[in-house]
Amino acid sequence: MKTNHEKIEIKNINKTFEGGHKVVALENLNININDNEFAIVLGPSGCGKSTLLYLLAGFERPTSGKILLDGKPIKKPSPNRGFVFQDFALYPWKTVLKNIAFGLELKGVSKKEAAEKSMEYIKMVGLEGFEHAYPHTLSGGMKQRVGIARALVYDPEVLLMDEPFGALDAQTRKQMQMELESIWEKTKKTVVFVTHSVIEAVFLADRIFVMTARPGKIKGIVEVNLPRPRDYTDKDFLKVREKVLELLESEVEKSMHQEQE
Amino acid sequence: MYCTNKNLKETIKTTLKNTLIFILPFLVVIPFWEVISQLNIIAQLPAPSEIFEKFLYMAFEIDVLTQHLIGSIYRLIIGYILAVTFGIFLGTIIGLKKIISDIFTPILSLLISIPTIAWVPVLLITLGLGDETVIAAVFLGGFFTITYSVIHGIKTVNKNLINAGKIAGAGKYKLFESVLLPGSLVSLIPGLRLAIGYSWRALVGAEMLAAMIRWGVGKMIFTARMSNVVETMFLGLVIIGIAGLLLDRLLLYIEYRTVVKWGMVTEG
Repeated sequence: MKTNHEKIEIKNINKTFEGGHKVVALENLNININDNEFAIVLGPSGCGKSTLLYLLAGFERPTSGKILLDGKPIKKPSPNRGFVFQDFALYPWKTVLKNIAFGLELKGVSKKEAAEKSMEYIKMVGLEGFEHAYPHTLSGGMKQRVGIARALVYDPEVLLMDEPFGALDAQTRKQMQMELESIWEKTKKTVVFVTHSVIEAVFLADRIFVMTARPGKIKGIVEVNLPRPRDYTDKDFLKVREKVLELLESEVEKSMHQEQE
Repeated sequence: MYCTNKNLKETIKTTLKNTLIFILPFLVVIPFWEVISQLNIIAQLPAPSEIFEKFLYMAFEIDVLTQHLIGSIYRLIIGYILAVTFGIFLGTIIGLKKIISDIFTPILSLLISIPTIAWVPVLLITLGLGDETVIAAVFLGGFFTITYSVIHGIKTVNKNLINAGKIAGAGKYKLFESVLLPGSLVSLIPGLRLAIGYSWRALVGAEMLAAMIRWGVGKMIFTARMSNVVETMFLGLVIIGIAGLLLDRLLLYIEYRTVVKWGMVTEG
């Protein structure tokens, strides 16, 4: 185990959506995430895992409970966190470079410096030559590279990723997972990554938090102590995968029932 | 963009084709019209050649056409800028705050159904018979449409674009300027395009009714009617049509340079 200082503490979080009918998204959730940890939240669709990430970002407020970052409560969005969206959420009217530089400009960094720093990150995600392209001309994988560069460029402490590769084809997805891993090893951010793919989780995570179907609770935590980069076909890899699948199985059935209701 | 010879040829070809398609109906209609009026089939219908003569006379010989045009364009610009400014302002507030939306939406729905020209008699009393009334009519012509398009635009901006701005540290003003406003252009620009058409129509109508103004295309038609100069009246109609077309093309161009270029809409 690494020297563990708790970066994020999620304490007794409840989140209920009032609307046509009341939906309990998260119930009595308790998670601690360590500094520099790659934490993956895994669960069936509709289990509230994205809601959890939106709470961490400060886009939404919990109904009750507390979320602490370095011991201080999270109240609203702020650039000490970076967010990578499932639907990319790039600004169509800004070029790749401007999309990435936006966060730096908000920080008051000079235009020239912002452009230079952004170019660094464009190189890091392998998008050299596309800095003046508009997002709609890029493929899904390239768009999410911009998304990752944009979230990292202003050097946040925590990177929040909401099913970032969910909209990509299998081939691109695998490629992006490997690149993300190497980026993470270089930058050593604390990452909270939400997915419903077990393979993705086992490939990337230090720890996997498996969630139950609605209302979302923690069903179990799986530590993945495998050397990186990991091999999908490795025996130990498959063993961890089996363990996660077992935890998940009953929950997937439950969530299917819920969707039919 | 890469511009090879082949591409250039293609561009020239399509431009020529488009121009031809644009001119073609005129090439058919104008000679036909000329014949009809020369044969005197319809009473008082001036021939295109006579209207063109009138144009040359008014534009160069007595040099009044420019003043009419300047008069109209000046009022259009002022009124339209006011409509855009207040429309964006009100539309943004309504689009962002539900309570204000609940209060204003019924009022807007009520006001938008009133034809702009119906306001003019009231304006003549409150604002007088001069420029102010015409400018107010231009404003009313565009204001409601712009307001609506901004409300719709703001409400349909992808929530995550706003979230992305917030987490990067954008405050309220930055969010408006860098996210909400460009994000709502998909709806705002077609709104601006409709609005300039409505404003232009309102302008011509109001100029006819505002007795104190001397210059303006609407005024030109109205005075010509007093002295029964049909050619001048037709010249006015032609100018109104061409100006309307040019204004529309200008907004279309802006649409191409923004939301179409950014892939936010597929066709302009």
